[in-house]
Amino acid sequence: MSRSRFSLLILLRRGLMHRRTRSLAALFSLIVSAAVATALLTLYASLNQKLHQQFRAFGANIILTAPDGAALPPETLSTARAISGPESRIVPFAYAVAQTADGAPIVVAGTDFSAVRAVDRWWQVSHWPDAENLSADSTATAALIGTRAKNFLPGENFSLTYNGHALPLHAAGTVHTGGAEDSRVYLPLAAFTAWTSVPATTLEIQAPGSAAQVQRLLDRLRLALPGVEVHAVRQLVESEGRVVDRTRALMFYSLLLIALTVAICVLATLMASVLERRRDFAIMKALGSTQHQVSLLFLLEAILLALIGAVVGYFLGNLLAFLIGEWNFHTAILPLWQIAPQVLLLNLMVAILAGGVPMRILRAMKPATLLRGE
Amino acid sequence: MILETSLQSATPPDAVIELRDLTREYASRAGVVRALNAISLTVQRGEWIAIMGPSGSGKSTLVNILGCLDQPTAGTMRIAGTDVHQLSRQELDRFRAEKIGFIFQQFHLIPYLTAVENIMLAQYFHSMTDEPEALRALEHVGLADRAQHLPSQLSGGEQQRVCIARALINQPPILLADEPTGNLDAANQQIVQEHLRALHRAGRTIVMVTHDPEMAALADRVVELHHGRIAAERSAS
Repeated sequence: MSRSRFSLLILLRRGLMHRRTRSLAALFSLIVSAAVATALLTLYASLNQKLHQQFRAFGANIILTAPDGAALPPETLSTARAISGPESRIVPFAYAVAQTADGAPIVVAGTDFSAVRAVDRWWQVSHWPDAENLSADSTATAALIGTRAKNFLPGENFSLTYNGHALPLHAAGTVHTGGAEDSRVYLPLAAFTAWTSVPATTLEIQAPGSAAQVQRLLDRLRLALPGVEVHAVRQLVESEGRVVDRTRALMFYSLLLIALTVAICVLATLMASVLERRRDFAIMKALGSTQHQVSLLFLLEAILLALIGAVVGYFLGNLLAFLIGEWNFHTAILPLWQIAPQVLLLNLMVAILAGGVPMRILRAMKPATLLRGE
Repeated sequence: MILETSLQSATPPDAVIELRDLTREYASRAGVVRALNAISLTVQRGEWIAIMGPSGSGKSTLVNILGCLDQPTAGTMRIAGTDVHQLSRQELDRFRAEKIGFIFQQFHLIPYLTAVENIMLAQYFHSMTDEPEALRALEHVGLADRAQHLPSQLSGGEQQRVCIARALINQPPILLADEPTGNLDAANQQIVQEHLRALHRAGRTIVMVTHDPEMAALADRVVELHHGRIAAERSAS
């Protein structure tokens, strides 16, 4: 006998094409299953990082101060930077009380504006001081004025005096926080130090990571900086830990529930697809097919649909995760290639289960009964 | 006479089917229904027998059991010298592929396979597909030009001829036909009758269920079933 072009794959393809609507419904359900699994697993895996990022918006979680309002040792900033790592942000603050032109006292602070901007994101600033905000004569230092500080108007030049040294300033913008910051004038730290000779007295550190990671950082800082008081912003660190843990747990159970619901829908669709062909099954049995041959045919069909569904669903799921990340966290959640095998495995399991259950039902049915149309 | 000496010893040399006290019961809400009640029957090699009887008399049940698609509740059945009851499920599948060809009243072609592919499907489950041979089988039933048509593109008579070609492709010694002309018009009925006659002349054993006395008259012998029992057995001529 010569081999011909007829094969199991042709039988499979023809069967799928013939029942196009049902095949597409089964494929669609497997795509949805893979997309939901991909999106949820990606979100679940990225949740920690995204939530910690969200908590970073609440500001610093570690404060370093010198005892009794003294200046921090000169190496404090560089040591803190080295220990905290590149992902931490550090904002130095130095404070002095200056006088306005009419002799009124005013708290002046020197800081790093770019660091403040990144860490203290709740500050409502009309214009951050930069080169463009300098006055026309460019001798005035750009300053940020607390909304309750004085009646300095943005764009105006004014001067403050400290220990008899006057410093011309330019009101680049205003800051409103609802706190003590509203009554201060902020200058670049270098200009402040050159003017007052007062070094930084406080460092605010915004460190990423869980409560345990922040605690470990605190311990290392205390060890490395024995003369410095290292405090954790407890409410923030503890709330962050609680919220992250609870959100992860909620996400995990939601993932299980959604996956289960989708799996049941897929099972129902695929089972209907297999049971719909019970007459084909009976004809094949009458023609002498073995149980294995028929099972293989139905199984291959389910596997083929599961594979296509997993590939398409994986890409759709990543798109979904990306959009959810954009909408909720305003950052992109990127595809995680390592979850692709899990998604594929999940889809295959659902498909095999969905094909296996009706095959057991069909096996228990008599071909003769099926051929009579009962 | 043959039956009395059969299963204790060897199958008579020319008996291709031998049934002894074959019973088939079904459980139903109304209780146990006995579709076949201790039937004993021998079919000789090359014989054409017609099984007749009213609806519910057990005709289809008998054909399904003969085709190994159903199993008896009691009794023994030997086909081509094999005690079918002793076969495992897999052996039974193999046995069916090699020994039995089915012709159904409803044709039962796979709707998404062409005529020639439907025949090749039987080859596939038997051993290996051979398209030229499948085409020759179609040619024998006068459908060479319809090989690439789907069942939905064929008339009832043509579908039944594909069904006959499929039943014969693996050269089974026994042909089981369940109302082979039941769904056909007079012209197609005639064509199918001619094919069955030709098969009989070629020495094929045919067991045919029919309501049609004209079809039954073509057989060598008519067995009448009533309430699951053989009520009468006579020569068709």
